[in-house]
Amino acid sequence: MEELIVKKSPLPWWAAGVFLGLVQVLAIALVKPLGVSTQYVVADAKILKQVAPEYTQNHPLISPEANNGKYQKFGYGWRLDIGLILGAFLAAVFAGRWKLRCSTVWWQTNRGSGICGRFAAGFIGGFLILLGARFAHGCTSGQFASGWAQLSLSVLPFTVSMFAFGMLVALIVYPKVPQIEK
Amino acid sequence: MPTEILGLIIGALFGAGLLLGGLADPDKIIGTLRLKDFHAMRTIALFILVGMLGTWILDLAGVAHFSIKPAALVSVFIGGALLGTGFGISGYCPGTGLACAAAGRIDALVSVLGMLAGALVFILIYPNIVQPINDIANYGKKTLPDITGITRTIWTLAMVGVGLLVLILTRPRKSTVTS
Repeated sequence: MEELIVKKSPLPWWAAGVFLGLVQVLAIALVKPLGVSTQYVVADAKILKQVAPEYTQNHPLISPEANNGKYQKFGYGWRLDIGLILGAFLAAVFAGRWKLRCSTVWWQTNRGSGICGRFAAGFIGGFLILLGARFAHGCTSGQFASGWAQLSLSVLPFTVSMFAFGMLVALIVYPKVPQIEK
Repeated sequence: MPTEILGLIIGALFGAGLLLGGLADPDKIIGTLRLKDFHAMRTIALFILVGMLGTWILDLAGVAHFSIKPAALVSVFIGGALLGTGFGISGYCPGTGLACAAAGRIDALVSVLGMLAGALVFILIYPNIVQPINDIANYGKKTLPDITGITRTIWTLAMVGVGLLVLILTRPRKSTVTS
């Protein structure tokens, strides 16, 4: 069995930080700030239109008439998410980090090697993340990173509540600290 | 260039950056939230500062495409709390969940399914719950320069200056730079 240690990232923090910042600047210069979570609603809205057309037609958020029909369109944001998946896949392959796995080092250190628990944590976590992201008008990309880039007022309450709850919950779920490669 | 192609290119750069910088790594994210591993936090801080600096320059040149979110303070605070809770449980977020699934993490794929379920519930409760909450203490698409009367130039230079100073003063000595 592999040793439980958090491996360091392929890029040093300063290189990754500058690179991601420049991607944000490129996005704002050419189209609009980075954002990801809206497309999850688009995916669901497209399916709902097929299975419950009447409900969708009269919905104040996802009907083709509401919000310029942005939740019924596969547009720029959808391509951005597809590109994100492809870019991450290629980067993982070329950096030698592509690996089939079901759990994480922090999870195994604290909760053992069973994968059912990890999958439950992933699903419940994901559920709360997207529900929260839409209440907040954006996620860690569209609200947090893009909010700070643009100095929006909304980024202040979001930053405070996200980190306060994130830190508290992580402390409860992951009390034990694994070995971390420096 | 059509925006569809641009979307793919910008998305691919973003996804690669998230993965190579350790943000699309649930172990790095939990280490950040537990204040035990500062690599991802430093990456995030620099990401934001470079973005802020570049946006200010684009704005001066008159070519920035802004998209300010409404300051619906109660809804945003509740959303941040829900998202933070899920973040602390899983170590993922909407972008890094997709990136991690693309890197072979099955638990991230399960998390993405959870996110689709969360989006569905959001749609279902939107008319009766989300909209009324969104109207409470909603100040509209305001920026920090708008409400403080301090210019974007001063906000940016102050935050970037202090931020970079803190990053330099606290830089890791036996650094992660040598690889």
